[in-house]
Amino acid sequence: MNKMSAREQILNALRGNTRERYDMPDLSEISPIVYDDPVGQFIKKATTTAGAKLLEMEAGDSIDELVLLAYPEAKIIASNVKGVTAQLNPDTVETAQELASVDVGVIEGAIGVAENACVWIPQTMKEKAVCFASEYLVILLHKHDIVNNMHEAYARIEASDKYFQKYKFGTFISGPSKTADIESALVYGAQAARGVTVVLINN
Amino acid sequence: MSTRHSTYAEHYLQDNEVAERHDKTFFGVREKRDRMAHDLPEWEDLRKAADGIKRHTVTHLAEYLEQFEANAVKNGIHVHWAADSDEYNAIVLDILRSHAVKKVVKSKSMLTEECHLNESLEKNGMEVIETDLGERILQMMHLAPSHIVMPALHVHREQIGDCFREQIPGTSESDDPTYLTHVARLHLRKQFMEAGAGMTGANFGIAATGEVVVCTNEGNADMSTSIPKLHIVSMGIEKLIPDYRSMAVFQRLLARCGTGQETTVYTSHFRGPRPGGEMHIILVDNGRSQILGDADHWQTLKCMRCGACMNTCPVYRRSSGYSYTYFIPGPIGVNLGMLRDKDKYYDNVSACSLCCSCDNVCPVKVDLSTQIYRWRQELDSLGHSDPMKKFMSKRMAFLFNHPGVYTGTLRLAKAVNWMPKCLVNSKLNPWAYGHKMMKFPKNSFHRLWKKKKI
Ligand code: SF4
Ligand code: SF4
Repeated sequence: MNKMSAREQILNALRGNTRERYDMPDLSEISPIVYDDPVGQFIKKATTTAGAKLLEMEAGDSIDELVLLAYPEAKIIASNVKGVTAQLNPDTVETAQELASVDVGVIEGAIGVAENACVWIPQTMKEKAVCFASEYLVILLHKHDIVNNMHEAYARIEASDKYFQKYKFGTFISGPSKTADIESALVYGAQAARGVTVVLINN
Repeated sequence: MSTRHSTYAEHYLQDNEVAERHDKTFFGVREKRDRMAHDLPEWEDLRKAADGIKRHTVTHLAEYLEQFEANAVKNGIHVHWAADSDEYNAIVLDILRSHAVKKVVKSKSMLTEECHLNESLEKNGMEVIETDLGERILQMMHLAPSHIVMPALHVHREQIGDCFREQIPGTSESDDPTYLTHVARLHLRKQFMEAGAGMTGANFGIAATGEVVVCTNEGNADMSTSIPKLHIVSMGIEKLIPDYRSMAVFQRLLARCGTGQETTVYTSHFRGPRPGGEMHIILVDNGRSQILGDADHWQTLKCMRCGACMNTCPVYRRSSGYSYTYFIPGPIGVNLGMLRDKDKYYDNVSACSLCCSCDNVCPVKVDLSTQIYRWRQELDSLGHSDPMKKFMSKRMAFLFNHPGVYTGTLRLAKAVNWMPKCLVNSKLNPWAYGHKMMKFPKNSFHRLWKKKKI
């Protein structure tokens, strides 16, 4: 006798056990929060609850100078962003392990979310470890890429053909890595970046 | 007459200080959650949508699983199916063996706990390292989690310090949480560097795109999957949602409900293997497809394991996770335990005062207290019913079958606060025996709700 595969077994059981079926609700009934000043709200959330630092970049500023301003002690910088002076490039390192020694990773964000200071970071480098293993992170974000809420952010990702093409990963990051696992005491720098600076680019 | 839950709880409550701290800690999280809810005018619409999406998805699960699988395979992901925990453990072992992996770094997953994966791997000579700080502490101390989101909050800093000093060379005398977290950071970094595979759970699977989403605050799931080249995802089949529009709803609810934050620090979308790497997703049933057929309890499948029902539950807060006999405690754990094995886990059904608070915080509106009530009814036929409690159950049945009376009774319940203690906490009232009678608030939730104060 042929033993049914687990796949068949599960799908059959699900079909057999489904009783009443429910329709997908109409999600357009939700009217999500919007802000008079989404940029201001983003800055507020990023610098308070998210625990990030924030720098604004004006025409004529150089990213290198801002990185130095945010992290003057940094020795090893990793980035594949054009125009950033870096000792390591996540596109050309042999292994992800090499990025463990990085002081500051400089990466690009594509969407900022005002309600919770999340920044959408599509993977644009061979080794995404630069986004997590670096001691500190500098995230570049254009002001005009800030949206109100997660609904708008996901709609943008879905509508774009830029993401998940070459590299099949993307992440929302909101501030530095944190934990409250020891007696609820909030500590930054659990496993990933200990500090995050968002550089807001004025256009 | 007592249940194992009430016996354990009684033991636990002997240390007043510990018990009080536990209660306060989790009530603090509950209050943070309330602030999050009050801050969003669309809160109730989000809950309604989340409930609706889950209802829809779990009642069309076969179709969504097929869609998910097809898309994941297109993305270059290997998809496996496991009917039960044995099959699941065997698949993981097989993948790890074929890559000659000796050390695995793992981010938190209740599913692996459910299937006893760590034991299975260790028996086969592999080293398994939990990377969530709380989970790592418990693993080093050989303790079980007592909460599904904040698993080690019941352990005190001095105990953690002692454990680290014993097991991580160079740890100093300090028990400061910042210092201890830093010690763990360095210790875990080394593990990430050496591991041959990273394992994660999945908070969500998205059918339309064939990807999984993992949410953490520490970034440990990302460290686990950015350094080792092999990524294995363990996912219960009920974790599926249709698309990105649904994802937005759940992303906004998960952290707000679970820990009272607007978002987790990381919300990571895995849609395929790393360059030069390999990604596997194991879809695990282990009883879920049977639950779907259970008219009284199928709604547990909507659960997204946020932990909110635990934080609010007065019985959980005052008796702690270890008083429950199933590995998931609190309101959802009582129900999941019964669905796993009624004869083994029926004691937990007594861990409820039917206050309904869990129903009111659950982001996907699982009918938690109604289900517990139904189990109590069923205990009769299982022969586990405590005759004393029957007396009360009958009255509860009356209340539940008459919603009008139920609302009225809650309002009248205030009078209980002024009744002499001997009357309230007497053996005449079987729930007071072994349960200290709750104080009924002056304004019940329902009334506040109607008055729009909440
Ligand atoms: S109804 Fe029961 S399980 Fe739910 S919060 Fe109240 S006591 Fe806890
Ligand atoms: S039952 Fe609801 S509140 Fe409890 S863990 Fe699940 S989703 Fe969260």
